[in-house]
Amino acid sequence: MGSFIKKDLLLFWRDRKELITVLVLPILLVVVLNFAFAGLLSDNANENLDLQLAVVNQDNELETLARLKEKLMEEGSVSNSEAEKMVEQASQLSPIPLLFNYLESDELKSWVTVHELEEGEAVKKVEDGEIDGILTIPSGFTVDSLYAALAGEVPATSLKFKMERETNNNSILFDMIHGFTDHLNFQFVVQEIGASDAEVFLPEGGFEKVGTGESFTLSQYFTIAMGALFALFLASTVATKTGLEIRQKVFYRIQLTNSNPILFLIGKMVSTFCLAWLQIMFVFVFSHFILDVFSDRTTSFWLGVIGIVTILSLAIAALAAVFTSISLRITNIDAANGIFMLVILFFGVVGGNFVPIYILPSWLQKIGEWTPNGSSLVALTNWIQYEELSSIVTPSLFLIGFFLLFTVVSVAIYPKRGKTS
Amino acid sequence: MLETINLSKSFKGKKAVQDVNLYLDSGESVGLLGPNGAGKSTTISMISSLVKPTTGEIKLNGVNIIQKPEQMRKVLGVVPQELAIYEDLSAYENLKFFGFIYNLKGKELEKSIQQALEIVGLTDRQKDLVRTFSGGMKRRVNIAAALLHRPEILILDEPTVGIDPQSRNHILETVRMLNELNGTTILYTSHYMEEVEQLCDRLYVMDHGEIIAAGTKGELLSILSTEDTIKVELSKMDEMFIEQVKTIEGVRKVEASQVNLKIIAKKGINLVSELVHLADQYHIQMVNFHTESPSLEDVFLHLTGRTLRD
Repeated sequence: MGSFIKKDLLLFWRDRKELITVLVLPILLVVVLNFAFAGLLSDNANENLDLQLAVVNQDNELETLARLKEKLMEEGSVSNSEAEKMVEQASQLSPIPLLFNYLESDELKSWVTVHELEEGEAVKKVEDGEIDGILTIPSGFTVDSLYAALAGEVPATSLKFKMERETNNNSILFDMIHGFTDHLNFQFVVQEIGASDAEVFLPEGGFEKVGTGESFTLSQYFTIAMGALFALFLASTVATKTGLEIRQKVFYRIQLTNSNPILFLIGKMVSTFCLAWLQIMFVFVFSHFILDVFSDRTTSFWLGVIGIVTILSLAIAALAAVFTSISLRITNIDAANGIFMLVILFFGVVGGNFVPIYILPSWLQKIGEWTPNGSSLVALTNWIQYEELSSIVTPSLFLIGFFLLFTVVSVAIYPKRGKTS
Repeated sequence: MLETINLSKSFKGKKAVQDVNLYLDSGESVGLLGPNGAGKSTTISMISSLVKPTTGEIKLNGVNIIQKPEQMRKVLGVVPQELAIYEDLSAYENLKFFGFIYNLKGKELEKSIQQALEIVGLTDRQKDLVRTFSGGMKRRVNIAAALLHRPEILILDEPTVGIDPQSRNHILETVRMLNELNGTTILYTSHYMEEVEQLCDRLYVMDHGEIIAAGTKGELLSILSTEDTIKVELSKMDEMFIEQVKTIEGVRKVEASQVNLKIIAKKGINLVSELVHLADQYHIQMVNFHTESPSLEDVFLHLTGRTLRD
């Protein structure tokens, strides 16, 4: 099998035009798109934003002061008179009104619409795509925040931010809520009574905790989108080269030997895997050096990227195998190549490689996740932001599923000796 | 050694090859002649185990190999009509790849590559990319790739199409050497009658999917032993004149090309006086006139009604 792999890699290496297309063009596009869109966005920062935020208030503020006094006396060993004094001081700083004041401030209300909803209704609206995210004020938040502030401890209850999918809008909301906690901390500091923090929850089927996220930049999007897109093109290129092997009758000669014909297919898969992996990593690394795309990231971050790229490359290799098997069966190779290119372009569009997936309608976003490139975009986006294994499990399983499905299909339709086009 | 018995192949109900009976003895060099579409390539594909026959048998040393094609692949080398090599690999890289898939390894592979390159005279150019080679050199690499596993039977399907005379001679010499010195059994198909005459001990003539004649060169020529071929060069050509020549008693076929006439007529007939008389009538001068012994080309024309390159 090694000879098949070596042959395919050598043929690819000798095809300098293809090599330049696959390696240089995506980097060039990343640089050009990055500069072009950076200019557009910097001029109109949040001009066209209309973010929808649901606030679910599960806290009962009416009981707050009485419960705070009890808690101070029970857990803080504070005398009745001292407790009363502290409660009076804290009553000036109830965080929930502060939060609503913040959300309805002139600064925010032009681009954020706040909806006070029940939890079930809010979740449904997020799932339907009507709401960008949910901010939940959990039961006991006010008491815990004030007690923690008065006692100088870390609060036991936090604000929870939930979203149905990762988008730039959500990132903005997330940043906004962080802005509020900073604002709240500032208020507490001014009052010399402590600090609070926000915790972010990312939904995945249900809702899942992913911790505090990094920001996700446009240059990162372009890098992973172009890397995955051009790796997809590789699958089509490999099929085109198979067509050439059929035209040149080299496949005929291979069939004249006693070697197992399936080795030809496996050779195509392995060589495509190697090429796709190298190509995507090349785009990532060079984009990073040119544009500082992944600045200050840890070794574990890069290991995660390598892992995702590896399973994406496996899925692309298996897709190339499907194309190869079809090429060997179909009479009109040019028509087959045209169809392969259309499939790749379809994957590219719905998978979010041409335009960011979150600007597409929600039904198209759902379809996008059912493409190898779409899944890899979700996995890489989540990894870049949260670096949490739990956030990439589902898209990674999708990619492994694609790999297995495509492999089974390619082997099933691979023609027997003498049955080629 | 190799035998096909009533070998037939139909594609979508249309018969491409019908009841072909071939026999190749060990060390023999056999020619397979036929115009395009005669069924030669389909026959070769069936012998090579790439296409399964609809009916019939293929026997190797008396054993039917249709169910055991791997036995045939071990002893068979095929030089396809097309260049079945990678143009973006060097000659050496091509042979190494094909050697590997013939299950050759290490020193044995290296030795086979160098021997094959030496046979086709490309040792000096082995590191060059095939795409930089002339048509003739590419054809030689195509042959070398079929020699790597030292086949006992070598099938060459029009190996000299579209190449210069020098490369053509080189290839013919190579085939002759393989047959005479190495004892390789050869099945050679060609459009060029003189190549087949030069290389082959026996011939099969194929047309419309069937073998229409078989035998040694002498045996085939004897088919025309009752005929003479007369070639006439005229000062000008006239359609009416040709039609009149066809009516002369004993004339069987007339072919005209520019100012030349080729007449196949019953042996022993004196056509000169009749031709001179007709030429006078049409104010044509006879510039040249001679009688030839029939060639294999004439035999082919006689059998099929068309030339090999039709």
